[in-house]
Amino acid sequence: MNLNRIKAITHKEWREILRDRLFLSLAFILPVSMMLIFGYGIKMDVENIPFAVLDQDRTAMSRDYLHLFMDSRYFDYKGHVLNERELEPLLADSRIRFAIIIPPGFQEGLKAGRPVAVQSLIDGTFPFRTSTSKGYVIAINAAFNGKLLAGFISQKMGIPSEQAAALVQPIQLQLRYLYNQELKSTWSIAPAMMMFILMMTPPFLTALGVVREKENGSIYNIYSSTVTRAEFLAGKLLPYVGISSINVIILWLMAVLVFNAPFKGDPIFFFMASVVYVGCTTGIGLLVSLFARTQIAAMMITVVVTIVPAMLYSGLLVPIASMDAASQFEAHLFPAMYYTDIALGSFLKGIGMGQLWGRVAALLIYTLVLWIASYLLFHKRVKA
Amino acid sequence: MKPVRQFAGGGLVLWWSRMVAMTGKELLQLGRDTLLVVAVLYLFTLDVMMSGGVKMDLNQGVVMVHDADHSMASRELIYRFQPPYFKLGGEIPDQKEGLRLLDQGKALVVLDIPPKFQHDLIQGKPTAVQIQIDTSNTILGTLAASYSAQIIEQYSFDAALQRIGLTDANLAGMPMLVDRHRVWYNPNQEDAWFMPISELLTVITVLAMMLPAAAAVREKERGTIEQLIVSPLTPIQIMLPKVIAMTLVILLGTVLSVFLVLYGVFSIPIKGSLPLFFTVTALYTFAVSGLGLFISTMSRNLAQTIMLAIMIMMPIILLSGAWTPPEAMPPGIRQAMYLSPLYYYIEMSYGILLKGAGLDILWDSLLGLTLLGSLMFGFGVWRFRRQFG
Repeated sequence: MNLNRIKAITHKEWREILRDRLFLSLAFILPVSMMLIFGYGIKMDVENIPFAVLDQDRTAMSRDYLHLFMDSRYFDYKGHVLNERELEPLLADSRIRFAIIIPPGFQEGLKAGRPVAVQSLIDGTFPFRTSTSKGYVIAINAAFNGKLLAGFISQKMGIPSEQAAALVQPIQLQLRYLYNQELKSTWSIAPAMMMFILMMTPPFLTALGVVREKENGSIYNIYSSTVTRAEFLAGKLLPYVGISSINVIILWLMAVLVFNAPFKGDPIFFFMASVVYVGCTTGIGLLVSLFARTQIAAMMITVVVTIVPAMLYSGLLVPIASMDAASQFEAHLFPAMYYTDIALGSFLKGIGMGQLWGRVAALLIYTLVLWIASYLLFHKRVKA
Repeated sequence: MKPVRQFAGGGLVLWWSRMVAMTGKELLQLGRDTLLVVAVLYLFTLDVMMSGGVKMDLNQGVVMVHDADHSMASRELIYRFQPPYFKLGGEIPDQKEGLRLLDQGKALVVLDIPPKFQHDLIQGKPTAVQIQIDTSNTILGTLAASYSAQIIEQYSFDAALQRIGLTDANLAGMPMLVDRHRVWYNPNQEDAWFMPISELLTVITVLAMMLPAAAAVREKERGTIEQLIVSPLTPIQIMLPKVIAMTLVILLGTVLSVFLVLYGVFSIPIKGSLPLFFTVTALYTFAVSGLGLFISTMSRNLAQTIMLAIMIMMPIILLSGAWTPPEAMPPGIRQAMYLSPLYYYIEMSYGILLKGAGLDILWDSLLGLTLLGSLMFGFGVWRFRRQFG
């Protein structure tokens, strides 16, 4: 390894990046705009569910019941219909996602102490929205039933209604939300997005940088020069690790200043861990670039090997502990999982090296393996 | 190619034979890039398949219990935390241990039952159960909170009824609202009926934008565009075959994906008309490839193309409702959704595939896509002609 040669290659790469102004600006603009779009755009809160009502009873009690839905911020009342057949096209056209049907004799039945069935239709196309809406419906119905029962008991046992209400619900629930007390989704999305963006952009930049030389043929200059394999790879990698490390700082500042995510951990530890992670994802790009002959193929392969694990096996959507054994094993094979733990731990949980050293070590090993594999796979001799 | 005879309408034949030749050239060029073909195949099959494994619902969230009572009542409550939503992880000696497990992400929920829990219940004294939830992932945290609240409420309700001594016979006179909800289109709420479709539509978007753009920029980067410009081909004849070839590839991949993965692996009941779905897909691919052509005129090399494409693609995908419920968007962004072609395409795809809707219901989305698509494609063609005309 000759440091001067590495410096020369890094310098050449750096000049090339600097001269391609569009590429250079996009290398910084892309992560920032992804952060903005995802930070503001991903809102998984299920609110304002549009719904319609078919009230076949039209009594004071049915209106009281319906008002529980209309007054809730989770539902958005779109109107009444006159018969059940009108609901189907509304659901099929996504004008409503949910409908309640109150049967005739609703008030009469309840006053006479009979069970009355209320039907609701829920659009099932988006399962997450469906299960959340179902939860709301169950909660509203339970509240309504609690009131009915309290009224019934107070009448039957001759006690005041407040006492009856306490009797019906003897257990109080104290819910404590840890790490994100106000359940702000941006607080957890901003750190997770750092994982996602730093998983995607460094491999793109690196893979394209190397394959471009292959496709243009300028790589033959390297093949015929005295530069060794290791020197070439190191010189090629450094500028991209550098750009991505600057992006780490920019993204961190955005998470803290723009999205107001609390950062409770150790900034220096987090930065070092992030640089290791960036080194790792840059290595993925390098490895891809050794297989691909054309830039377009390099890009597609990068999409395949980065986005899927970052979405599925990172703990972003599914917690690792909840996966089946096979998926858990797969998750441990990708770097995204370790960094998600580091990011969420540093931002929201305020834990540091003491508890996260294992994750950092895993990333380090991963990085070394990728770099060594690239070294072994890169040949200066063209295959015949 | 055989020389074309000159006769009335010969110009048209010539025009089309050139188009066919160019389309063939594009397909051949794509086919020779083995790695690219493998990547495209992977995206349409395995990638769509893997996305079927993602469950956004709470799935076996680990519950750790600190039981200070060790009674019948506490055990009964604990055993109500069951799969699919929860999984009992075991008992812990004190609250500190619970906090440690939450810190390390080894527990999602810590349930804390106070001493004298059963005693208080029998005496009719109010008692309190504490639940701590890791909300560093807000989606799962919210679901875990909602499900555990449901469990505790139901338990509390049951315990109350038992204490008051209302048996089923006594319950006869009690008013009660019975909840009968029905879920349409996906009665068992299988995530595997949602995620793979969303993923397929995302893959189509990515490829429809990138493939034509890359094919055009590659000619620029390698200089072969000069050869094409000095040939008798018009800019339209250079550009349209790229779009047509890539649309063909994407349609083929979509067919493969629908039959092998959506229908074959996940048994999604395809309720509507498949020809309609493929027609809409072709229309959508054309619309998005217009954006791809626009990008190709903006950039000088592929690296620029790809980054520009990602820049334009991200908002299109995010504003479409492919991954987030559209109703959840803040008001300003909700109006911006009408600018995303994927929004209309998703509406129609779910409408056709899951809801069995036809044109009588989806005509407005089709109109929206057609208008937006013509605008986008027209813009791309205009830019391309200006640059190479």
